Amino acid sequence: MATYQEFIQQNEDRDGVRFSWNVWPSSRLEATRMVAPLGCLYTPIKERAELPPVLYDPVLCTRPTCRAVLNPFCQVDYRAKIWACNFCYQRNPFPPQYTAISEQHQPAEIIPQFSTIEYTITRATCHPPVYLIVLDTCMDEEDLQAVKESLQMSLSLLPPNALIGLITYGKMVQVHELGCEGCSKSYVFRGTKDLSAKQIQDMLGIGKGHAPQQPKGPHNPQQQQQLPSNRFLQPVHKCDMSLTDLLGELQRDPWPVAQGKRPLRATGVALSIAVGLLECTFPNTGARIMLFMGGPCTQGPGMVVGDELKFPIRSHHVIEKDNCKYMKKAMKHYEALANRTANNGHVIDVFSCALDQTGLYEIKFCSRYTCGHMVMGDSFNTSLFKQTFQRVFSKDGQGEFKMAFGATVEVKTSRELKVSGAIGPCVSLGVKGPAVSDTELGLGGTCQWKLCGLYPSTTLAFFFEVVNQHNAPIPQGGRGYIQFITQYQHSSGQRRVRVTTLARNWADASTNIQHISAGFDQEAAAVLMARIAVFRAETDDGPDVLRWLDRMLIRLCQKFGDYHKDDPNSFRFSDNFSLYPQFMFHLRRSQFLQVFNNSPDETSYYRHMLNTEDLTQSLIMIQPILYAYSFNGTPEPVLLDTSSIQVDRILLMDTFFHIVIYHGETIALWREQKYQDQPEYENFKQLLQAPVDDAQEILQTRFPMPRYIDTKHEGSQSRFLLSRVNPSQTHNNAFGWGQDGGGAAVLTDDVSLQVFMEHLKKLAVSSSS
Amino acid sequence: GQSGGMSGPPRPGMPGQSQFPPGPGMGLPNSQGGSNQMAPPFGQPMGGPGGVGNPNAMNSGFEMLSLQDTGGKVVNLLQEKRLIPANGIETPKPKLSYDHKKANCNPDVFRCTLTSIPQSSSLLSKSRLPLGILIHPFKDLSQLPVIQSSVIVRCRSCRTYINPYVSFVDQRRWKCNLCYRINDLPDEFQFDPVSKTYGDPQRRPEIKSATIEFIAPSEYMLRPPQPAVYLYLLDVSFNAVETGYLRIFCQTLLDELDKIPKDSRTQVGFLVYDSSLHFFNLAAGQSQPQMLIVSDLEDVFLPCPDNLLVNLQESKELVIDLLNQLPNLFEGNMETGSALGPALQAAYKLMSSNGGRVTVMQTVLPTVGPGALQAREDSNQRTTKNVSNLGPATDFYKKLALDCSAQQTAVDLFMLNGQYADLATVSCISKYSGGTVEYYPSFHAVKNRSLADKFEEDLRRYFTRKIGFEAVMRIRCTKGLSIHTFHGNFFVRSTDLLSLPNINPDAGFGMQMSIEDSLTETSTACFQAALLYTSSKGERRIRVHTMCLPVTNQISEVIAGADQKAIINLLAKMGADRSVTSSMSDAREALINAAIDSLSSFGNTLPASQRMGCLPTSFSIRLLPTLVLALLKSSAFRHGVNTRLDDRVFALQQCKSLPLQYLLQTIYPDLYPVHNIDGCPVDVIDDEEIPNPVLLHLSSANVDRQGVYLLDAYDMMYLYVGSATSNQFCQDVFNAPNYQSIMDGLIDLPDLDNPVSEKLRNFVSFLMDKRPGGCSFLVIKEESKNRLTFFGYMIEDRTESTMSYYEFLQHIQKQVKS
Ligand SMILES: [Zn+2]
Ligand SMILES: [Zn+2]
Repeated sequence: MATYQEFIQQNEDRDGVRFSWNVWPSSRLEATRMVAPLGCLYTPIKERAELPPVLYDPVLCTRPTCRAVLNPFCQVDYRAKIWACNFCYQRNPFPPQYTAISEQHQPAEIIPQFSTIEYTITRATCHPPVYLIVLDTCMDEEDLQAVKESLQMSLSLLPPNALIGLITYGKMVQVHELGCEGCSKSYVFRGTKDLSAKQIQDMLGIGKGHAPQQPKGPHNPQQQQQLPSNRFLQPVHKCDMSLTDLLGELQRDPWPVAQGKRPLRATGVALSIAVGLLECTFPNTGARIMLFMGGPCTQGPGMVVGDELKFPIRSHHVIEKDNCKYMKKAMKHYEALANRTANNGHVIDVFSCALDQTGLYEIKFCSRYTCGHMVMGDSFNTSLFKQTFQRVFSKDGQGEFKMAFGATVEVKTSRELKVSGAIGPCVSLGVKGPAVSDTELGLGGTCQWKLCGLYPSTTLAFFFEVVNQHNAPIPQGGRGYIQFITQYQHSSGQRRVRVTTLARNWADASTNIQHISAGFDQEAAAVLMARIAVFRAETDDGPDVLRWLDRMLIRLCQKFGDYHKDDPNSFRFSDNFSLYPQFMFHLRRSQFLQVFNNSPDETSYYRHMLNTEDLTQSLIMIQPILYAYSFNGTPEPVLLDTSSIQVDRILLMDTFFHIVIYHGETIALWREQKYQDQPEYENFKQLLQAPVDDAQEILQTRFPMPRYIDTKHEGSQSRFLLSRVNPSQTHNNAFGWGQDGGGAAVLTDDVSLQVFMEHLKKLAVSSSS
Repeated sequence: GQSGGMSGPPRPGMPGQSQFPPGPGMGLPNSQGGSNQMAPPFGQPMGGPGGVGNPNAMNSGFEMLSLQDTGGKVVNLLQEKRLIPANGIETPKPKLSYDHKKANCNPDVFRCTLTSIPQSSSLLSKSRLPLGILIHPFKDLSQLPVIQSSVIVRCRSCRTYINPYVSFVDQRRWKCNLCYRINDLPDEFQFDPVSKTYGDPQRRPEIKSATIEFIAPSEYMLRPPQPAVYLYLLDVSFNAVETGYLRIFCQTLLDELDKIPKDSRTQVGFLVYDSSLHFFNLAAGQSQPQMLIVSDLEDVFLPCPDNLLVNLQESKELVIDLLNQLPNLFEGNMETGSALGPALQAAYKLMSSNGGRVTVMQTVLPTVGPGALQAREDSNQRTTKNVSNLGPATDFYKKLALDCSAQQTAVDLFMLNGQYADLATVSCISKYSGGTVEYYPSFHAVKNRSLADKFEEDLRRYFTRKIGFEAVMRIRCTKGLSIHTFHGNFFVRSTDLLSLPNINPDAGFGMQMSIEDSLTETSTACFQAALLYTSSKGERRIRVHTMCLPVTNQISEVIAGADQKAIINLLAKMGADRSVTSSMSDAREALINAAIDSLSSFGNTLPASQRMGCLPTSFSIRLLPTLVLALLKSSAFRHGVNTRLDDRVFALQQCKSLPLQYLLQTIYPDLYPVHNIDGCPVDVIDDEEIPNPVLLHLSSANVDRQGVYLLDAYDMMYLYVGSATSNQFCQDVFNAPNYQSIMDGLIDLPDLDNPVSEKLRNFVSFLMDKRPGGCSFLVIKEESKNRLTFFGYMIEDRTESTMSYYEFLQHIQKQVKS
């Protein structure tokens, strides 16, 4: 058998899944004692080049309460043409078209290597997606120009038959009619008044007068059908010229802004109108609202700050003091909008570019509930925004857009397991079923979740509960099963179903704990813990979350460490646990949980990405990667530690959000003296260039594009590096940390990893805890 | 406390009347009597064009007399059939000294119902004639002295402008003719701007002309004069587009764009509406107009802070572009709702910083948003006596009008509705803001071409006519007289001050007056109207009209000096008020009573012997019964005849605001026989030979089968062609060999090269030009279905439901107190 590491890698490559535990404790009681929750990170439409096209419908178990999909773990009786469901043991006849089935002639879905398979539902109608731009016009000229150009550029990236619409806003909200000749037309709404979808429909005169153009002729399955367009949402190929002109003529918001005031910005109403417009025209059709905002909402529903500049927008301190005038109301507004949008099956992307905060903290629900993008930058006139926006429309190897729409993920479990919840950019569909656990973790109480948008990297965390009683042993070699059924609208408009079926061995923890611990995936566990921590941090007190993380870590050490009681020096962790405390150390001091060095908007943005990205990216967020470049050899990863900072090194740090190139003191000096420009120092030039090239590689692929920082020893931006490295060289005895196990004191930021580990060991081995 | 209504029981003791039927062949009354000592020089026209040398004038003996003297002459109405002079009803001249008479104000501008003012209120009540003044203050004038001086001389006590009727105590002082205060004369006033010499103040234009205009110095301004601002509110609902008016409107405005009163600051804007408001951003520099649509109308707002009103000069290209596009933009619009109320609210907001003129084109009942109305007309009730819903259904439009007025904005309303649109309510927006109301019932650009032509002509006039902004008009009169009720479109800001956000040359006003203190100290009474306004070029100006009338203590002089045209105008205004404040039957009764009273009071001046068996009246007021009957049969006051509510309301509105001569023409249209036009005497006017046919009474007895008649009812003109019209005439005028070949419903006369055609067309266009706006024209053949329209104007005829003139006289006779 391969090593666990290989097993984990294989599983991730094939199924897009990473479990915290790869061997499952067979009883409920033992499972609760594993400390790290049994869960997985699942990437539903992870890019899989080698997936065969399956142009038929999945075969379902006939038991009405089961409906699991035929998979490689099902027992097949080739002679009787019967298959047994591995979830409920129901024996099902194959449908007539499977009569030719035999051991030599197997359908793809029962071949073991296709534990993940994708079906294309040929009967479903295909609709091109709808894009509705919501553009803030209260920006300075330069930013507006940049965003206009980006939007004009994006028209060439969209599928020609996709529908597009434009809403602009400032003090008022304007819904633009497209394809007008001779006279531009827009409907103007007051920026202070919320309207229902019905009101919007009436006021825009949608559904009145001319009947929408319905596709003619017989129903042709699997053909691109044109959605009935209206004056506000038109096919790109019909209106791209006029929309280009319209964007070109678009002016900054004309309402005067008095000295000492912020512009009046009706983000809340603009978004509400966008949601309402799509709600009444294209419910449950793939559609995305793309909001571009250059500042905070200052009026009407959803306002996050008043227009008086002398009153700044809320900070974490003010939030902590519960002293925000607008926050709660605004959050309520945006959360309600987010719920409606999710309900309609639409996506909201938020592109926020401004030097100050814009209200992402309040608006975050919109992206979170609909699986929309959230992008934060300083200005629209930056490559960060421009490149990122362009990547929204990136395509896969087949030339298909990577974005998908309208997904539901359903979880089926074998009877020893139940699903207790999911954490990710999704909403619960509230579907009860035999697989639903009474214990909730994340969004629970359901076995189906909805993701209005979906990308190859979108990753959900699922948590499970073992429900098998201790006295009901599982037969030797028995396995537990989980099946993910993801239905979604592919960017081509096709309806697709991706099915991943997983099996893991059971083990009796009371007798075979080593089997279980060997299957521990510390990376998956760390990311799952991070998701839970952030999920809790959204509602709980920050310190409570930290104390909980500490407690869990200590208990994990106690449970799986190897030590003599009260002898910290004796503490040992096996390899597959050894990095876990370090992950927790960095998680504790990360921007996800230490909010006070960031604005609430930044916190929301960082948490959104952690809540969305796959394991690899999430780990980078938790514990940034540091590479060193020097004349002493090839570039190498080095410890995220102050000790890695050396005068003759260039460091490249990737925090996911930032790419920092840090030049050590000597290197910086040489660079200033321009040695790199002299032919005899070609090697120095190459040394300087190497991290830049590596950074470029990251910058060119990551979404959103990270902020690129080039700094040096004592450079003003070196704080980006210094705040993340382990402060090993500042000695600090943090007495009292976690001593009572209930967690009184909290680590201060500048506690080093070494101190942290010492205390951790001490607490783990302590017989009192 | 006057005579009873028509339906009342006959009074006991009244003598039988039926023994005096007005049979044919009745002789003319004695018309040769009377003295002639005050007659003006022979040949001077008295009451209108024509006069001496016109053989038709021989039809009436009155023409031979000085009107001044015939005023008090006795006329027996039961005998006299021909009451209207061939040249039209005369206008009395006040008995004033030569100097005063010469200077006096043009009666078309300013006149009084009584050209001899009763000395006391008791004398006035004895005359039983209404006292009031009628003014057409901004009438286009061919000659208007305009002076610019740093000092405008006014009475220090009552602020009267110095005028021809003041007296000079000495070279340095003048006595106010209204309050009698003695004022100092500034040195400057000694200077004669014409001869550029110092000397006699009497040479000053202020003293020589009763109508004068001052260019006002800065103390006459509350703020710097505002630029002219024109906002056009256009109905673009399904119905509006269907009528085709929009194309005419846009094309006409395009045609006249360079001629609208303006300067370099002039601004324009367009706001079109169906159930939504469509604003246009016409900022200079844009490549095309931007339409901004607002559908949330509960609390109207402006979609952008500027560029909805734009400088015409700077944005002219966009304005032209928009006007060219507008009719097409809404082609096929299926939206039937009309958000007039919100459109007006938006207009108010747009205009409020500056003021100006809002022009509304409305084709349907407003149904959307604030100010939405319900149809209130029951078409089954159109013939009943009790006309309901003459007043507004809501005060929304009035309130908004007052808001507009306060911001110096007037709203002009053009109603082009085919169905009921509640003019009674909607017109309040114009009534109280100093705007105008025009009405084109059943307008359709194609189906109703003659009305469409009138609309287009009206628009041309409307776009290009003079306009005054942020105006106020104050009427002052000699101490002892008091003005108490105002008629017209305005808002009364204080007792004698009318707020007129706009003043236009076609607006008329009336005021009722009472005599508070006897005018024993004076032989004349004076009235002064001062209109302060801002011209379209941003000049602050004051137009002053002063009228002087003799005061008398003789009832006979009061009656002899009565101005029957002015009286019927004032009665129409009073009746219009009464129909709304009380009821239509009350208004009718009051009109009848006015006729009765005039006869009673005159009768009382005669010995009983002269009254027996006849219905005597004064020559001056001989037409009052005719005109009252005409009023009773007009669409404003009639009953028993199918009359659409909006038609009636508009007619009532016309009574309130049409200048005298036009109102009279709508009440009692002019009827001319034109079959003999070739033989008619001609007047030469501006090198054109204009035929001058006689005027006929409106009686079908005057309409022959052989004849062709032109009926001019101010806003429409009909050419009635009798079935026995000569072939020659048919050929000459219609290019048709005979009557049968003439096309019915022609809206124009063919341009034929023969004297008959030429004269007739000259005459028609001469008449057309006499009114400021357009006039629809229609040829009606005798057998046409439209003949009823024509004969409907024969007011003196009897119909199923209405009395003939003679029956009316009999009815009156019954009621006249002996
Ligand atoms: Zn099953
Ligand atoms: Zn005075």
